Amino acid sequence: MDERTSATPPAIAEQGGIGQYKGRDLDPARRPGVPRLHAPERLQGARWPIERQRSDVTVFMHGRPHKTFPPVFGTAEPPHGISGLIRRAAYAYPDHAMRHWSLLLFADRVDAWGYRARRLLPWLAPVVALGALAYGAASRVGPWRGRWTGSRAARFARRAAFD
Amino acid sequence: MRALTYEGPYRVGVKDKPDPRIEHPQDAILRVTCAAICGSDLHLLHGLVPDTRIGSTFGHEIVGVVEEVGPEANGIRPGDRLLVPFNIACGACWFCERGLTACCENSNPSSDVACGVFGYSHTTGGYDGGQAEYVRVPFAAVGPERIPDDVDDLDAVTLTDALPTGYQGAEMCDLHGGETVVVFGAGPVGLFAMKSAWLMGAGRVIAVDRVGYRLDFARRWAGAETLDFDTVDVVTAVKDATGGRGADASIDAVGCEAAGSPMQRAVGVLGKAVAGSSVALNWCFHVTRKGGTVSVLGVYGPPFNLVDFGTAMNKCQTIRTGQCSVKRYLPRLLEHVREGRLDPKALITHRYPLEQAPHAYHQFAQKRDGCIKAVLLPHGATLH
Repeated sequence: MDERTSATPPAIAEQGGIGQYKGRDLDPARRPGVPRLHAPERLQGARWPIERQRSDVTVFMHGRPHKTFPPVFGTAEPPHGISGLIRRAAYAYPDHAMRHWSLLLFADRVDAWGYRARRLLPWLAPVVALGALAYGAASRVGPWRGRWTGSRAARFARRAAFD
Repeated sequence: MRALTYEGPYRVGVKDKPDPRIEHPQDAILRVTCAAICGSDLHLLHGLVPDTRIGSTFGHEIVGVVEEVGPEANGIRPGDRLLVPFNIACGACWFCERGLTACCENSNPSSDVACGVFGYSHTTGGYDGGQAEYVRVPFAAVGPERIPDDVDDLDAVTLTDALPTGYQGAEMCDLHGGETVVVFGAGPVGLFAMKSAWLMGAGRVIAVDRVGYRLDFARRWAGAETLDFDTVDVVTAVKDATGGRGADASIDAVGCEAAGSPMQRAVGVLGKAVAGSSVALNWCFHVTRKGGTVSVLGVYGPPFNLVDFGTAMNKCQTIRTGQCSVKRYLPRLLEHVREGRLDPKALITHRYPLEQAPHAYHQFAQKRDGCIKAVLLPHGATLH
């Protein structure tokens, strides 16, 4: 035990109270969350019935029965691409199906890989093009002429591509 | 507008995005003056929350000034200074009427496990968060609270999530005076839970963490005894300190990124094969006495965890959990703040402009530079 302090800090002790257990909210009646469910009372500013939000954005609802689409929802990042298709499949299942969550996590990974690939593409495309040109040139002229084109790997690649 | 955007696990950036607009008659648009980074934002950052889409904007601890109001958001006006609870609650459904705004059933189509939450993946409704210049606030006349003139933005921003959550954690321990409470995690929520436990009459408060400066802060600010789990066996130490019986109650203020078990870290946090690590929760079961209470505030993702549930069952423990229904706590906690019993902005150690958000996340996630709580100020210095 590094250090011991067992007295209620003075700022939050009950005024005029003595003893170390006299916290200001010791009485449960002073605690806002007691009882956990209180008698029903609509919050100030609430309106009923709630008008339905209209949106052209694709928003998935999970596959739980006995639930209607809520009147208000977020439209932050619409689904797209392959990750969007996986998410669509995931939302066919309800919350209590493990598949629902596993597919969503997989879709997140696919989304991230896609994003990285899109970011790398402007850098990667010229590098790949230059590499292909260099390979083509080196296989036709210079001291390495024919060295790679006649290799077992190159023959295998040609067969795979054209045969 | 400029906004923080998610770019995949461990990466965020700041980019241009379209300005938010009124999408429902009860919406408002807020000019964000202060947005805090929450410990649970790190779960998003690390890719542990399902359906966190690339391009999302995080941020559910928001303070701002009303810019535009929808036709049915009666009761608020442009220019009002609001603090926004992280739950998006309609105020009229079965749960909202009974005080559980964290369970509102009218704001999240994507899941039954939570209501809508700002900037917290599509699992909680797909709303953009407030770590941006502007944010759309649904049901703006219901959840958000006008900030009194004598309360500044930094105090107010803690009232949107961290402080009420910590308070609810202590409340769920059902303290009657004199109990020993162990709090796992000396981050902002854990520190508020420690102070709140004192408020409710705890006899001893023990903080568990491994970050030295946070344990120092817990001793100085929250008057807690401290345990560093890198240097002692936590369960043995708590049992030693309580005559072998264990603590009366424990609070998990860590969640799914807990350190302390290499196996749980490898499988849950790094491999993401299960919903993070449940080490703190398992330690809660072990340090709490038979018949005691375990209060869980730490965020866990919906898929399964490697939880030692047999221990909890056999020890006849009461487990209480829940996202905080912030709205119902605001009047009482505002009173505590205004009368000086709680000084929440003491936890805010770092302030950054929005453009430095990636750096802020890095400092906060890596526990660098004595960082306890970091806030972003999208419009420079606060307006009030």
